[in-house]
Parts: sequence; C-alpha cells; structure tokens
Amino acid sequence: MRHGTRYEFPDLPLNSVDAGTNLLLTGPTLEGARELLLRLLLGDDGVLIVTADTSARKVLAAFEDVGGRIDRERVRVVSCTQEHDDDLGEFVSSVGSPGDLTGIGIEYSGQYEQVYARGYDTVRTGIYTLTPLLVYSEDVRPVFRFVNTVTSRIRTADGLGVCAIDPSAHDEQVVTSIAQPFDARVDVREVEGTIELRVTGLPEQPDEWTAVPALE
Amino acid sequence: MSAELPTVVCVDGDDETRNATVEALETAGFEVRPCETVATVGTAMDDSVGCVVTTATLPDGDGFDVVELVRDRYPDCACVFFTGELPADLPRGGRDQVVEYVPRSVPGAHDRLVEVVTAAATGATQAAYPLPEDERERLAALAEYDVDELSALDTFERLTSLITSHFDIDVAFVGLVDAHEERFVACEGANWRTLSREDTVCTHTILTDDVMVVENVQEDPRFAAVDRLDELDIRSYAGARITDDDGNALGAVCCIHGEPRSYTRAERDDLRRFADEVEEQLALRRRLGTGGA
Repeated sequence: MRHGTRYEFPDLPLNSVDAGTNLLLTGPTLEGARELLLRLLLGDDGVLIVTADTSARKVLAAFEDVGGRIDRERVRVVSCTQEHDDDLGEFVSSVGSPGDLTGIGIEYSGQYEQVYARGYDTVRTGIYTLTPLLVYSEDVRPVFRFVNTVTSRIRTADGLGVCAIDPSAHDEQVVTSIAQPFDARVDVREVEGTIELRVTGLPEQPDEWTAVPALE
Repeated sequence: MSAELPTVVCVDGDDETRNATVEALETAGFEVRPCETVATVGTAMDDSVGCVVTTATLPDGDGFDVVELVRDRYPDCACVFFTGELPADLPRGGRDQVVEYVPRSVPGAHDRLVEVVTAAATGATQAAYPLPEDERERLAALAEYDVDELSALDTFERLTSLITSHFDIDVAFVGLVDAHEERFVACEGANWRTLSREDTVCTHTILTDDVMVVENVQEDPRFAAVDRLDELDIRSYAGARITDDDGNALGAVCCIHGEPRSYTRAERDDLRRFADEVEEQLALRRRLGTGGA
C-alpha cells in the first residue's frame, strides 16, 4: 500500500488527511456528532466501529443511513453495550461493558486483524464514544492506556481513527490529556438543525465553524 | 541484534509454537528471550526488554498473569497476546491490562506479529498516561544530562530548601521526567528518588507551558485514584515546567503540601522564577560540559 495513502471525505467540508491520522471528535452526545463520525468512515476501506452507547444493530442501521455499505468482509463492530447482538455473528463482537477496556482492546485488535487478513490494509476506525469508557472508569490511567494502544495501532498501521467524546461530561483537564495522542480535534455542534464543524491541529482544514452539507 | 530494537520476551509453554515465534522475531532482528512459564518471566525481564509476547494459556497460569508480573515492575512495557484462542475464549483480564492481540489463526500471523511488535518497539505505546507529541526528541534532549551528576549538586538542594520556606509547604523538588519514571535530582522535605511515570503529576505538567496547580489531588479525576500519591501524602501540587534552550520539556520544579492548597498569581509567578533559575543552571551545565552524559 500504503505509503502516500490519504483518506478522503467526500461530501464533507474537510480535506483529505494522511494515513495514520487520529481525530478526536468533540461535541455533545447528539445525533449530529454520531452522524458526522459515521460519515468520516465512508469509503472503500475496512471499517471498524466501537460502539459504547447504542447497540451494534442501531449503529449499523445509522451507518447505512449515511450511505455506508454493510459488507461483512470489511465492516466490523465491537459492541460494549448491554444489548444483545449475538445473532449478528462474527461480524459483531460483544464485550458487555464500556468498563472492560481490556476486552474492548482485544476484540478491536481481533476484528482489525480479520479485516486486514481479507486484504483491507487501509482501515477506518470509529469509536462512539469515549465518554462511557471514562464514566465507567474510576481511574483514568487505564483509559489513557487504551487510547494510546488504539491510536498507536492506527498510526503505525496507516489507518484512520475517529474517536468521539462529549467534553461537557468530563473535567476539562481530562479531555485535554485524552486529546494528547490525537493529531487534531474536530469540534462539532448543531445550530438550528445544521451540523457545523471546525478543526484544530491540522493545516489546510477549516478552523472556523463550517456547515456540514445535509445528507441528500 | 539491531541497535534500535529492544529485546523481546516470548512466553509460550508449547515448544513447537514458541520456537516458531522466536524464530520469526529473531529473523526480524530482535533479540528474543524464550520463557515456558509465568514463573520464568521475572528473571527474563530487565531494562532492555521493550515488549513481551505471550500466549493465553500457560502451564502455571495465563497471559494476564504474565502482564501483571511484567507491568508490576515495568508499567510501560508493551504486551502482545499471540495465541490461537479467539478473543471470546481468552481468560478475563483486569481492566488495567490493555494489551495488543494478534490471533495465530490469521494468514501470515507471524508477519503480522512482527509488524505489531516492531511498532511497539519503535514508537507505539501502551503507556497509561499522555505523552508529549515530541517525546522522542524530548528524551534525546534529556539524555544530554547526567542525572546522577545533577543529583549531587548543592545548587538544587539549596533552591528546593528555599522553595519550601518561601511557600511554607512540606516538600519541594526538582524532577526530571525520563522515559519511564521521574527522577528527583533534588528533594527537600522527603526522601524521594524516583516515581513511576504513570503515578506522577509532573507527567501532565510537562504538557503545559503554564504553572500547573492541583489544589486538591483527591478531587482531580486524573489523580484521585493514584494510590501512590496518597501514600506519599501528596494532597496539593504546583509545578512549573523546565525546558532546555530548544523548548524540550525536561521536568518540573514543584511544590507539594499535605493539605489542599491554592496558589495566588504572585505565588505562581514566583514558582515560575524558581524554575527559570533551574533552567539557567541546567543550561550552564550544558555549556560547561559538566552536565553532559
């Protein structure tokens, strides 16, 4: 592949980013943030979604709603919710709790390897959201270890990572520390039904609030 | 072995699979120390080990026993599960035992393992704390100083003594944050030599260019669960980052108190000036060649 690969974001007001880029998507836990995260995963690459607040079934339906193609060869989900998605087969891994960071990490790596083994050496990862992982953790250090491990894998494997967090749910210093391994921060908000974004940390990206075109 | 690659410990009770894994890693240029059991891992570990590869099931325990043993002494050491068992069939690990995982069942599994281990050895991290963007350059800059020599200097001892009386606090120190721990080159009011990096507040201080104040450690979500801070009676903290002439963060000059405490703007400015003094001393040592390693 993979040297020189860039990830593109059709229909979004973002320029392409280098392979190995990790983005932290910060905004309130609203449909807009989830929609933007899922739209950032669109493309022909492998897709891994870690869902911590809604079932795998709902996340996959939302992915289809934004134009994603559910292809079991390249799309995989790690669910850390209490909802039962066992009937979806190996396509979905269930961990059972956002607090089981070790289990989430292993299931994520396992699914990554399965997608990679099918020839997808560019993989987009979406984590929606880090907030339950932090809320379930009395000690923030295991979350740092988890985030460092996942972002390191994405960086060294030339992947793309998009992790969402609701900054209003956490101490500001915690969010600042969690943001450290990410290459850029994408702030997202909804204004009168329109999703807007702005980027800090990467050149040639919109650093002022910019409207995201609605889905057709 | 390549000078850039750390040693890898490979733990597997099955001779055939262990030998194949060792061979793959050695072919990639790693020095590998094979282990058959959890019990033998302890003696295989030292500072040169950068990664531990373990299977899930071992004759005297499981892979998470290996992780626990390794991280008890080397909290930042990368750990990789390399096993034929599927994730759902693995033993349950503790929530702080996040590891990398490569299933032995995927095609080219040894190649994938080598890629993951190489990544772990060359910049990927499983550290339980945030790292500066320029960590590699920062550590190279820190390596220019002889920490043992700096620890012997009276200058910093006098300064930390002055800081404790100036702020009327229990402890003041000058700490340098290296790859895995903070080393105290001067410490007034306590006999601290080193602290594991994941247990330090200074690991966060080096990320900020302002004086960092934690008025009550037990109420700050970043530190409230760090038992070591409680054991050392660290209830409040103020730290000013120390940098070299190129802006590399080397460590911090810090005030510690056993009770919650706030710091006025004037006090923060004073602490910044004490840190400036340490920076000047470090720069002087560099120029004189007496602080160089």
